[in-house]
Amino acid sequence: MEYLIAVLLPQLLHGVVFGAALGLLALGLTVIFGLLGVMNFAHGELYMFGAYAGIVVIGLTNSFWVALVAAPLLVAALGAVTEVATLRPLYRREPLYGLIITFGLALIFREGARQLFGGDMRRILPPIEGSIPLLGMTYPKYRLFLLAASSILLLAIWLFFTRTRAGIIVRAAVQDAEMLDGLGVNVPRVFTLTFAGSAALAALAGLLLAPVFTVYPQMGVEMILLAFIVVILGGMGSLGGSVVAAFVIGITQSLLTLWMNPQRVAIAIFGIMIVVLIVRPRGFFGREGVLE
Amino acid sequence: MSRLLSWRGWLVFVALAALPLTPWMSKYYMLLAFDALLFGAVAMSLDLLMGYTGLVSFGHAAFFGLGAYSTAVLLERGMLSLWLCLGLAVVVVGLYALTVSYFATTRRGIYFALLTLIFAEVIYTFFRYTQTFGGSDGIQGLPSFQVLPGIAIDAPARLYYLVVVYLLLAYLACHVLVRSHFGQVLVAIRENEDRARFLGYNVQRYKMGVCLISAVLTGLAGALYPGRAAYATPDLLHWSISGEFLIMVMIGGLGTLVGPIIGGAFFIVLQEKISSYVQWYNIVVGVVLVLIVLFVPRGLLGLRQALRERLRGEAAG
Repeated sequence: MEYLIAVLLPQLLHGVVFGAALGLLALGLTVIFGLLGVMNFAHGELYMFGAYAGIVVIGLTNSFWVALVAAPLLVAALGAVTEVATLRPLYRREPLYGLIITFGLALIFREGARQLFGGDMRRILPPIEGSIPLLGMTYPKYRLFLLAASSILLLAIWLFFTRTRAGIIVRAAVQDAEMLDGLGVNVPRVFTLTFAGSAALAALAGLLLAPVFTVYPQMGVEMILLAFIVVILGGMGSLGGSVVAAFVIGITQSLLTLWMNPQRVAIAIFGIMIVVLIVRPRGFFGREGVLE
Repeated sequence: MSRLLSWRGWLVFVALAALPLTPWMSKYYMLLAFDALLFGAVAMSLDLLMGYTGLVSFGHAAFFGLGAYSTAVLLERGMLSLWLCLGLAVVVVGLYALTVSYFATTRRGIYFALLTLIFAEVIYTFFRYTQTFGGSDGIQGLPSFQVLPGIAIDAPARLYYLVVVYLLLAYLACHVLVRSHFGQVLVAIRENEDRARFLGYNVQRYKMGVCLISAVLTGLAGALYPGRAAYATPDLLHWSISGEFLIMVMIGGLGTLVGPIIGGAFFIVLQEKISSYVQWYNIVVGVVLVLIVLFVPRGLLGLRQALRERLRGEAAG
């Protein structure tokens, strides 16, 4: 019982918190994949830019909350420009080109960040300090805020896709962009706005996680692999699958660190993914024929 | 079957072999040429998968790195024979390639790319954290190969000739392969996998076969690398290296053998030259890649063809 409250429970909560943030990152990835057929290798760098944009805005305004609004907007603008300049000309070509061009963009973004902000680790102080008692233990307030914010965002995204006209247009574009075009919707604009939205989500995840982790130019490289695993595990193009898989990976990783050292955990996560793909090739909720 | 190598091909290899005799080849340029040809060969091997079969491997760094580590482990223990190192690399990389391709080839498109990536990441993580293999420092300060007991490959010129011979043999192997029936089936799979299956070909077996060949050629190149660098580090296995291999193929041109060799050599020289002037060479590399994908999707070789077609068109018109 002692062990349960002192060790297991906080670690489980850490996992849930991390899973929620991972879900934000993976959702953008999976929407872009479903919509554009592009596995966005630069998504991790948009996540990193979110954290750095946050540092800049906090430096100017001294407020984490202003940054929480401004950073995603800045990164969304960058995303929109990127989409128009580099991805739009590629839609009629094989997915291979999208994969490779986003890899090139990731190189540019990562090196750009190193040149602009330097290579060393930075920290963002949590805007909410202290801990509160919870279920017989004490838990940092900021992590609870992180959990609440991510959950509300995930809910808002779900409502967006199910209840709003814009969300339904995006889903329709995923299903059949040509038909949507025939119905008179400006499909390229839908693509651009969706890419910008995905970039904003990545930036939000980056800024929200920054007070828990550290900020450095390579931070996206490590996260993106995890986000890829989440997307594959959940099933390509399945939004619900991505969220479920994000929590599964977040909690599994968090709990495994109790009994294993970090590299074993990493290998275990890869192992889980490989096993799932062998048993359920399309992931948890993958549909047949999505880009095979 | 046509001749093994056109007269122009032989000319290129003779020129490459004569290169060390020219007065301006310093030790620095000799090693740069070694890298250029070695990674050119790797890019050519990767293009068997990408260009000919239509499978994008995002895990080729694992084949390269495993080759490098098998050499490093032997050299570190005083087993200096080049042939032993190459033999071990073939066995290690071959077994790993069979495992990966068995699972990855059952999936198409993006799944193949991501499965090869994830498997490679397992290998990376293993070497990165296993102290037996030096952890994140890798295995450093290795002695030179010996072709025969007592004959070491220690001078830059000897190393260079080693890679020229390797490139020639690898090129001939690929050349024969893509012109064989096997190679034709690969192209058929790339063009329409279902149709190839309906024609009665065991598509997975062909895919696994080409994965194995591509991996072993890459692994052999990896096995030669510690001979020049005297180390094997986990960085060689990182997925950003796999990405660089893809860039090399894209720069040179998909679906040819010569293109990726040029692409690999071009990439290495570009990276080396830019990095000696500026620190942000990755930005330049990234921009070059983006521009190539956007404007010259068939790569440098395709650019030449496009120019020639245009010139011919204008002359005719």
